Formats: sequence, C-alpha cells, structure tokens
Amino acid sequence: MANITINQAEKRFGNGFHALKGVNAEIASGSFTVVLGPSGAGKSTLLRLVNGLETPTQGHVALAGEAVTPANLRTVRGDVGMVFQHFNLVDRLSVMTNVLVGRLKTRSWLGSVLYLFKREDMDIAHEALDRVGLVEKSWERADRLSGGQQQRVGIARALAQRPRVILADEPVASLDPVTSEEIMQLLREICRRDGITLLVNLHQVDLAKRFADRIIGLNAGNVVFDGAPEQLDRATLASIYHREGVVHDEQLESVLAYA
Amino acid sequence: MTNRTPLPRKPFNPTPVWLSAWIAVLWLIVVDLDISFQALAWGLADIGEYFGRYGDPDFSDLSRYLKLLAQTIATAIWGTFFALVVAFALAPFAARNLTTGPRAYRIAREILSFMRAMPDLLLALIFVAAMGLGPLPGSLALGVHTAGFLGKFFAESLERVDPGVIEAVRAVGGDHTQVVMYAGWPSILREALGYTLYIMDRNVRMAAVLGLVGAGGIGLALHDTLRLFKYDESAALIAVILATLLAFDYLSTWLRGKLQ
Amino acid sequence: MTSSLNLCWPTRNGVPPAAALVTVALVFGLLLWAAPRAEIDFVRLAGSIPAMIEFVGRLLVMPDWDYLPELGVKMLETIEMTFLATSIALVLSLPFGFLAAKNTSPHPAVFHASRSALSFMRALPELVWALVFVSAVGLGPLPGVMALAFVTVGFMGKFFAESIEVVDRRPVEGVAAHGAGWLQLRTFAHLPQVMPDFIGTTLYILDHNLRAAAILGLVGAGGIGYDMVMAMRLFDYDRLLPIALSIYLVVTLLDRASDRLRRKVI
Ligand SMILES: Nc1ncnc2c1ncn2[C@@H]1O[C@H](COP(=O)(O)OP(=O)(O)OP(=O)(O)O)[C@@H](O)[C@H]1O
Ligand SMILES: [Mg+2]
Repeated sequence: MANITINQAEKRFGNGFHALKGVNAEIASGSFTVVLGPSGAGKSTLLRLVNGLETPTQGHVALAGEAVTPANLRTVRGDVGMVFQHFNLVDRLSVMTNVLVGRLKTRSWLGSVLYLFKREDMDIAHEALDRVGLVEKSWERADRLSGGQQQRVGIARALAQRPRVILADEPVASLDPVTSEEIMQLLREICRRDGITLLVNLHQVDLAKRFADRIIGLNAGNVVFDGAPEQLDRATLASIYHREGVVHDEQLESVLAYA
Repeated sequence: MTNRTPLPRKPFNPTPVWLSAWIAVLWLIVVDLDISFQALAWGLADIGEYFGRYGDPDFSDLSRYLKLLAQTIATAIWGTFFALVVAFALAPFAARNLTTGPRAYRIAREILSFMRAMPDLLLALIFVAAMGLGPLPGSLALGVHTAGFLGKFFAESLERVDPGVIEAVRAVGGDHTQVVMYAGWPSILREALGYTLYIMDRNVRMAAVLGLVGAGGIGLALHDTLRLFKYDESAALIAVILATLLAFDYLSTWLRGKLQ
Repeated sequence: MTSSLNLCWPTRNGVPPAAALVTVALVFGLLLWAAPRAEIDFVRLAGSIPAMIEFVGRLLVMPDWDYLPELGVKMLETIEMTFLATSIALVLSLPFGFLAAKNTSPHPAVFHASRSALSFMRALPELVWALVFVSAVGLGPLPGVMALAFVTVGFMGKFFAESIEVVDRRPVEGVAAHGAGWLQLRTFAHLPQVMPDFIGTTLYILDHNLRAAAILGLVGAGGIGYDMVMAMRLFDYDRLLPIALSIYLVVTLLDRASDRLRRKVI
C-alpha cells in the first residue's frame, strides 16, 4: 500500500558510532522484504529510521513519497505498524487493551486518560485478534501468554493500526522453530491478503529464502547484497556475514556449510 | 615454602581510618552540643519514676479524643490525596525516559525537590498564618510536602519501565499522554500503590503532631496536657495515638504484602 | 448511556472491572467521610489565595543579616543532632535487625518480641517522644537526639530485618557447611550480603532524620526549629526567609548526595 524510499541514509550516533553509511533502497508497495546481516550491522537502526524512532544524520526516508520528518511523526507512526523481538506488550493490561493500543492514534486526550475506546475500535481490535487466532484470550492478562501467543498479540496490535507498512525487528528470534514458522506464515499472509508492505529483520537465512520477495544484505552499515532470494548464494552470504579483520573465518565456513 | 608465589601487596584497607574518623566526629559533636552525660544519667535514673507517672491513664474524655483522632486521620487522607494528584501530574515529566524535554524534566525535578525540602510543620505554620486555624492548612501542608516524595518515588519507578514497552506505544503514534497512560502507569501500578500506602502511613503519623502548630488533630491536646503536667490524660492520649498508629502500621504492611 | 456515547472500556461487558470500581468507590467514600472532618473547603482554599500571596510578599523582605551567624550555629546544631542520633541508632539497630529477622533470629519468641518492640518504637512520631523527653531531661539538643535515635531504631531495625530476610540462602549454607558458628554465620554470610542494602537504608534514614531534626525545636528539643517557630510567631519575616532557604539548601544537598552515593553502592 505504500512504498518506502530510503535515500542515501546515514546514521551516526551521539557517541560517534557510524551505524549506517549511506543506504539506498526502494521498497515496492505490498512487497515482503527481509534484511539480513550480522549483529551490529545496523538492521534495527535501518528499520527504526522508517517510523522515525531514529532520525538519519544524512539523507532521508520517505513513505509513499512523503518524507519522514519530526513534524509528521505521529501520522507516519500511525501508518506504520511495528513488531518487536521481545513483543513489548504492557504486561498488566489485557490482551484486548494491548491490541487497542494500536488504535491510540484515533483517541482523544480524555479518552486516553480514562481508557475509553470507541465501539468501532473494539471491532477493529476484535477482527485483528481473530486474524491471529487469539480471540478466546482477549480478556487474559498479556503476561499470562506464551511467547508465540504474545508475538501474535504484537502482530494483532500492528494490524489494529490498519497500517500501510509493518516493520518487524527479528520477530521470531525468541521463538522455537515451529512457532517461528507459524509467525512467518502469518506475516506473509498479511502481506499477501492486505497488501501491506513488510520489512522484516531476520537472523535465519533459510526463513529469509523461503518467505522473502527480496533480500537486502547489510554489513557494517553498507548494503552488500540486494536481490531475489534465488540470487543468494554462498559467496554473497559470505560477503553479508563477513567479519572485519578476520581473514580465515572458520565459524563462518562451518555456518555456510549448513546454509 | 621456598617456591611459593609471593602474595601480591595487600591493598590498603581504609575501614579503620573511616571508623576512627567517625568516632572522632561523634565525640566532637557530643562536646559541641554540650551533651552532659551527667544530665543523661540523672535523667535516665529518674526516667523509670518519670514514666511511672503515666501509669494511670484517664480515659474519661475518650469521646473527644476519638473525635480528634478521626480529624487526624481525615487530615492525613486528604493530605495523601492532594499529594497523589500532584505527583500523578508531575512524575511523568520528572522521569528521564518519559519527559517531554530537558527543560520540563529540570522544572519538574526542581518543583518536587523544593516541595520535599520544605518541612511540613513549617508549611503548616505558613498556611495557618495565611488561612487561619484548622485541619485544612494541615492537610494542605502534608499534601505539598509528601507530593515531593511521592512524585520522586513515582518518577524513579517510571524510569525503570521496560524501554521496549514505551517504544512500542511510541511506534503506534502515541503522544506523550498516551505513552504515560498505556506504557507508564500500568507497568508500575503495584509499586505506585505501595508507595502511596507508605506515604499514607507517614501522613497519619505526621498529622498526629500537626496540632502543635494549630493545624488540627490530636497533637494539640497532647501538647496541652503535657504542658499542664496532666500525666493521666497524656497517658490516655498517647495510648490512643499509639494504638492507631500501630494499627495503621500493621494495616499498611499487610496491604503491601498482599500487593506483592 | 455508554452505547449512545459509543464509548466503552476494553472489558468483556464494556464497564470497568469490578476491582477498579470497588477501589474507586472505596477511595471516594473515604474522601467523602474525611472531607467534613478535615474541614476541606475549596471555597475557603480559593479565598485564602490572596492572603497566601500577600504572605509570600511579606516574606520577601531584606534578610536580617545580623542573624546569619546564629543561623549558621543553629543549622550546624541540627546537622550534628542528625548525625549523632543516626549513628547511635545504627549501632543499636544492627543487633536488633538480626534478632527481628525470621531467618537469623535465635528463637521465634525473640523474633516476635523484637518485632513488637520495633513497631512500638517507630509508632509515635519523633515530636511526641521529644515532648516526653523534654519533660524528662529538660530543654536542649539532648532530648532531641534521644527522641530521634529512639524512633530511628524502630525504622532501621525493621528495614535491616527485612533486608536480612531476603538474603540468598546458598552462600549462608556454604559458610554453615564449613562449621561456622551462630555469630560467625551472621558476620561472614549475612552481613556481607546485606551491606549494600544497609548502606542504602542508612542514607535514606539520615535524609529523613535531617528533616525531622529541623522541626524538633518546635518543642524545645534543639536545632533550627525553635528559631523557625519563633520567627513565625513574632512576625520576624526577615529571619523566616533565610531559615527556610537554609533548610532547603541543606536538605537538598543531602538529598542529592545520598542519591548519588546510593546509586554508587547499589
Ligand atoms: N543509541 C545508540 N547509540 C550508540 N550506538 C548505537 C545505538 N543504537 C545502536 N548503536 C550501535 O549501532 C550499531 C548497529 O546497531 P543495530 O541495533 O542496528 O544492529 P543490528 O544489525 O540490529 O544487530 P542485531 O542483529 O544484534 O540486532 C551497533 O554497533 C550498535 O552498538
Ligand atoms: Mg537488532
């Protein structure tokens, strides 16, 4: 529903660390893009540029042609859902209320303070919970759920936003392989049925190959690969997971052997 | 013995130095405060006899005491409520992770620290001077003073909220109020209730002495009976206050235990 | 009504959960019960705002410079009382803490007795004890120090006991397994573990006692409080402001210093 334009985006943190060194990418509306890269490559930073949780020090990011600026932050975030590795649900609130958090952009000041919601918003949240198959847990406290269930609540929260883009930062990193598969299928299905643009950070090469339309490989703040999953071979994987200053990387070799 | 690796040099242990400095300072203080151990010994020798004078409490005026006691508790309740309202409004600005900007943070912190620093009895004196005698200035004084504490406690709890949860509410486009209401308060509800109970407990204790400056409650009655050497009535008053405060102590400990 | 407003709470039936309703009703009930007794009157409150402003205006006069040296002396006395009382209480509450902790008390009877004693000591406010001690040993800082130390033992002993009760049991068992005696166990296994907590508690109490010491003078038990009340009663506004400011300054300094120290220790 919305394309993402990342134009010469650079990010230098307050401590001088150069996390992104000029990233260019044009992400098509309704596509499923996976970002791969070693720890510290800047994947999370890249994702967080898209909904303005970080601001680029150079270049810019645009959503459906409109640049993300501090001025339109709330509208942008209202349009962009985010799914987190550690789910980031509010433990003490019910599953329903957690999903309703996705509707906060429509709520007034007083309504927010009194925890009051519109019936339409309740319907949207109900529908989102239905999509992730957790309606029967609606009134349960969020911290009583298993990890996989909590992640599905996180996805329902993003869906309740009626977003144009969903960003998922390692959504399956804390889950077992079977649950991971479930969550990835759910995300893929959301992309296909609702036409929502998905940008997903992953550490699992096999999942990336099976679910992505396109893979972006990031290493030390640079894009080192950008193409279809089929193009991802041993050499490109080696360049993505290459470690600075290590000439003969035995760990990398043994990982690639099983990739 | 011969080929044993020698121990590395023992690091200097500063404890004896600190300890002797501490004792020296205490001694200097005793000299400076002119505390005479003779007076103390004298007083302590007499103290058995002195406390004996309280041995026969006179409860004939009990209904008046109970009325004053109710006023004391009422003053504490409203003081705590005032504090709660102020702390609720200020704490989100005084928490580094939720504040709206460095200036708002500084201002909120300074207000809280100023309110904490003003003793409630001084505040009560001032309020009594400005609005006349009675429990109202007392509860106002309690409210102002303990708002500083409650606001600080709340802010510190809010600063411990999982940053991911806050980020999640920010990421859906939540504004400051929404982040505070959906990520902040629900996460610290239990702790905040515990602190409020603690402040309530403290305010009841304090309300019992506010009467000394004309701010209502049972304190003035005790002051008067002690000044007139009416030991029987003083004993009754002390017994009533003691029973109430012990009851509150147990009640709040029990409630806080239930919260955990 | 909720449906016509088209708003509802995120619960099964659209109304707030019973626990929340009961809590709100209870709090409102308490406030309503208390309002007439505490003479809560918002009209009077609003009406007194001009008087309040006028009063603050009167405070803003040229301070009485000649009074400053005496103020310094009184302030120092307040600080000295705080330090002395807290030190005495610290020494007394250490053994008390071990006797009043479930896991280190030698006998359940001792445990209950010391818990009750501590409750009794902290039940009455410092000022009440100060009143009592003043009539027992006369005016001056001595009854103030006694009152402060007495109440502080009640608080410190309880806090210490609570810290001791939550120590990790494994190191204790480790030390016990090597045949340590009762006292050795307490000094070698418990004390090192609770030290950071103890220091935090002591700093917190020092802070609390400084505030308490600043008002003890009200009943003639030494410190700055007496001057404060006298300045107020005699309308010496040129003294009141410097007194208030110096209390603010000292209390805030200690507050910040102990915050910083606590963060370092814990
Ligand atoms: N707020 C910050 N201040 C300073 N440096 C930061 C900050 N956030 C991230 N970094 C640094 O930027 C680099 C990239 O971080 P990022 O979180 O984007 O990595 P990542 O690719 O997501 O890694 P992982 O796979 O471990 O999540 C890291 O070296 C990190 O230390
Ligand atoms: Mg990351």
